[in-house]
Amino acid sequence: MNTLKRWLNTAKSHSRWAVISVPYLWMLLFFAVPFLIVLKISFAYQVVAIPPYTGLLELADQSVLMKLNLTNYLQLMVEDKYIDAYLNSIQIAGISTLLCLLIGYPMAYTIARLPPTSRNIALMLVILPSWISFLIRIYAWMGILQTNGLLNKLLLGIGIIDTPLRIMNTPLAAYIGIVYAYLPFMILPLYANLVKLDLRLLEAAYDLGARPWKAFLTITLPLSRRGIVAGCMLVMIPAVGEYVIPELLGGPSTRMIGRQLANEFFVAGNWPMASAVAIVMLLLLMVPILIFNHIQGKEMEGRLT
Amino acid sequence: MAANPEAVRPERSAADERYVFIDDVTKEFDGFVAVDDVSLSIRKGEIFALLGGSGCGKSTLLRCLAGFEKPTTGRILLDGQPMNDLPPYERPINMMFQSYALFPHMTVEQNVAFGLKQDGMPKPDIKRRVEEMLNLVQMVKFAGRKPHQLSGGQQQRVALARSLAKSPKLLLLDEPMGALDKKLRSQMQLELVNIVEKLGVTCVMVTHDQEEAMTMATRIALMDSGRIRQVGTPDEIYEQPTSRFAAEFIGSVNIIEGVIKDDEKDFVTIQSAALAHLIHIGHGISGFEGQRVNFALRPEKITVTKDEPADAHNKAQGVIEDIAYFGSHSVFHVRLPSGTRLMAHFANRKRWASENFTWTDKVWLSWGDNAGVVLPA
Repeated sequence: MNTLKRWLNTAKSHSRWAVISVPYLWMLLFFAVPFLIVLKISFAYQVVAIPPYTGLLELADQSVLMKLNLTNYLQLMVEDKYIDAYLNSIQIAGISTLLCLLIGYPMAYTIARLPPTSRNIALMLVILPSWISFLIRIYAWMGILQTNGLLNKLLLGIGIIDTPLRIMNTPLAAYIGIVYAYLPFMILPLYANLVKLDLRLLEAAYDLGARPWKAFLTITLPLSRRGIVAGCMLVMIPAVGEYVIPELLGGPSTRMIGRQLANEFFVAGNWPMASAVAIVMLLLLMVPILIFNHIQGKEMEGRLT
Repeated sequence: MAANPEAVRPERSAADERYVFIDDVTKEFDGFVAVDDVSLSIRKGEIFALLGGSGCGKSTLLRCLAGFEKPTTGRILLDGQPMNDLPPYERPINMMFQSYALFPHMTVEQNVAFGLKQDGMPKPDIKRRVEEMLNLVQMVKFAGRKPHQLSGGQQQRVALARSLAKSPKLLLLDEPMGALDKKLRSQMQLELVNIVEKLGVTCVMVTHDQEEAMTMATRIALMDSGRIRQVGTPDEIYEQPTSRFAAEFIGSVNIIEGVIKDDEKDFVTIQSAALAHLIHIGHGISGFEGQRVNFALRPEKITVTKDEPADAHNKAQGVIEDIAYFGSHSVFHVRLPSGTRLMAHFANRKRWASENFTWTDKVWLSWGDNAGVVLPA
């Protein structure tokens, strides 16, 4: 009996390991290893060869020398085109996140207050566009925003404007594209949070003399903070590194770090520089994630004591 | 233990009699009538209980008072002022919610201060008032805690302090003890009544627990399918129910169906297939000979004896089928020759007293001429 129990227990812990090791192995193979390779390349020199970078280790005079090239990183810190690209990326991602929040919060709030049956339909409508390929949807936006595109035709037809608006290939187009593409990532976590809000808390606030707007500000908004933070992270982090949207919609005037990286890699063929750009971007994105984790950890502690 | 009626009674003006006036209120939801033409007058300073099973409309009526629901027809007046068109945040009414609805992101102090802040009270005054309230419910020590760090009883105290902080003209309690365990419940019932009486605030509570209503309320309105079935003090409702529903809802009762045989001025007899003898009632009633009636008899009004009682009009012999021992008393389920089962209480006044009786014993049940109530069938 006891042997069987012990055997079952070991089997259980083995199977537990088996279950978690699969995704961890996957992460190790396809995230950690490539990351280390990129990190390695970022410290190398560019050469005309295959591959187009030097190795870090050199064997000479019976000793192994490690040569780390820091010029890539130094360049990132001083050259305007990189600093601009980083600042631009953060600005565009930040403003897009704010716009997503301003548009997404009322939407999530309204959906969460719908009767359960229509709620699911409304959620479907939010998710439905992502069933179509991302690229196709961005090309569709090109069709809408072009100088002789749908939007201009419509506005000219109604007579609101006389000359077509130049939206395509401006930062505005990039904003439109990013907000459009990432809005569901804002709405879903907010919805998941707001739908759980205990409506009796709002009733209690009204009962104690709070007008609806005041009750929203003092009860609903603070209680949905986790949803807001989660939604903002889900939008902000990928938006900073966004490449396709600024490339296709924003045009050359939208200088984001993703495009800079692609330029270094495909145009200049400078793999070490491209790698350094990627590493710094990753470090920049780590900051908000760490802050978020810290806050969450603190909150958990508060709950336990 | 019920709120002391004397504290409320001395010389009430007509306005105080109708402090809360619910006038022909009906509330419909999509054709479903939740509250059906209810009229009630609630006195200033009393603790009034709306008692009934789930879905009887008591909660809807309470929500109409709070302002969360608008009556379909009818008026609600508080201290002479019409309430119908006031939103909840403009009513001088506060509510202690079922399971409290404390704001989880605020401390105890902030919860109690919330209502005062909405009124724009100056900060030092808020601080003083919050302290006063926390003192009242003995929660000063916990002022800095968040609700999830409190026990159920402590949460209830905070909820009470929060709903009393604005000195409402009317306090609403929604199932006030619903979230507490039994032992804490009886303690908090007393404490809550004491606090409410100390402040003299008029109070309407909703409960499905008859014991709670009897313990806490000065008067009770018994509700069933949206209607008021009976209004009265706890003892009135218990001893003088006006319907079989009221008799059966509160406490336990034996209902004996029968027909009025003699309808005299000073006594009445009822013939029932359940009993060998006529039931003798020691006073006249408003009925007629041949009328079908229900005779309601509380188990504790029945005396259980081994030998036939000599001087009782009302008696019946039967066999003990079941005994439920409650310590302070035992309940005998006695089967009469007709097959009817009657419950009778036996007070265990002496130690081991109930040991004299056991299953299948033949016993006599007897009751006084005024022990039961005759109800229309």
